[in-house]
Amino acid sequence: MKLDLARMSRNTKLGLLVCLLGLIAAFAGSPYKGTRVTLDATDLAGIVQREVDHVNPTDLADWILKGRSDYRLIDLRTQAEFDQYHIPSAENVPLAALPDYGLSRNQRIILYSEGGIHSAQAWFLLKAMGYKSVYMLRGGLDDWKDLVLFPSLPPDPNPEQIAVFAKMKEVSKFFGGTPRTASGATTPDSSMPLPKLQMPGSPSGPPAAPKKKKEGC
Amino acid sequence: MSAPFFKFGLFGDNISLVIAFLIGIGFGFFLERAGFGSARKLTAQFYLTDMAVFKVMFTAIITAMFGVFYLGWIGFLDISLIYLTPTYLFPQIAGGLILGIGFAIGGYCPGTACVAVSTAKIDAVVYVAGVIFGIFVFGEAFPILKGFYNATPMGQITLPQLLKMPYGLIVFFVAIMAVGGFAGATWVEKTMAARKGVRQP
Repeated sequence: MKLDLARMSRNTKLGLLVCLLGLIAAFAGSPYKGTRVTLDATDLAGIVQREVDHVNPTDLADWILKGRSDYRLIDLRTQAEFDQYHIPSAENVPLAALPDYGLSRNQRIILYSEGGIHSAQAWFLLKAMGYKSVYMLRGGLDDWKDLVLFPSLPPDPNPEQIAVFAKMKEVSKFFGGTPRTASGATTPDSSMPLPKLQMPGSPSGPPAAPKKKKEGC
Repeated sequence: MSAPFFKFGLFGDNISLVIAFLIGIGFGFFLERAGFGSARKLTAQFYLTDMAVFKVMFTAIITAMFGVFYLGWIGFLDISLIYLTPTYLFPQIAGGLILGIGFAIGGYCPGTACVAVSTAKIDAVVYVAGVIFGIFVFGEAFPILKGFYNATPMGQITLPQLLKMPYGLIVFFVAIMAVGGFAGATWVEKTMAARKGVRQP
């Protein structure tokens, strides 16, 4: 039988093309070639230098307030530290358990530890495993306390800083913190009590099942 | 440069909303141009007289399937980074049936109803009001429905994983199914037209 393309209708040609593409696909092999893990040291160094791998504590607070669910917040500290206090919606995954924790590669992951060292190490670990959307909380829990829970007004503030502080005071109260009225302090007073874990609108304990996304035709 | 662009950080949240808006407008425009702003055209598929909806949807499915498969195959697209809607088997079957019944009765699905509203079709405005009322009822009844809503979770699965078959083989079967579906739909249209004594355009 001879194929006469000129006499075929457009639909028949398209049907043949679909069959051909399907047939090639059956023998083509895995389509996961884009998933290969390749580490580009220059690229990684560039990301580190440009600091695009950071999430600011105030931005994270804003996301939690807005109820965003398109990221997973990972607390890398010990269980005891986690039980004492953690950022609402965080999951406790100690560094050693991270590779087997079953994080999905198509999710945005935000890491934090007490300062920034453990989260930086975990960031490299996940990057080496081919995770793309990995971020660190800038300054870790220390900065979260400093900027979100116990915000303070810088000395000789300008109107913009006063406006930001007024907003942060509300955010701080939402998370159970205490805004510092005395300006000039650089670190939270160690006597300041950490808030209880039950946050308004953000119950503590095991994280809830991820929200279903609604889709339709 | 690799895809998916958003996951690789090519643009941020704000730009993604602009892109989503443009894609949405484009999607709506082509639905309208394909005649999907007409309830008569849409419901004709349930009477087997015009299978355009079936053909367009199947075309979209296989175009996307070939795109994803071959872009992944050449290494441009990281398939493991594509978001998959998690499967909740029975709630989704029930949801599909309710949507289908609403489609057959009302003449639109939610997306095409919005398209028809943009051309000021009264029936579509009533339909969208019904959709919003339905969302309200669902929201109010959610505490009762919650158990069923989260029932039979199967996670983010794909057919190759579920059937334990090579990805390419599934692509081949779906392609054959599409060609068979097209031929069948065309045959059904012709048969129905002949039965009615109407010539197919």
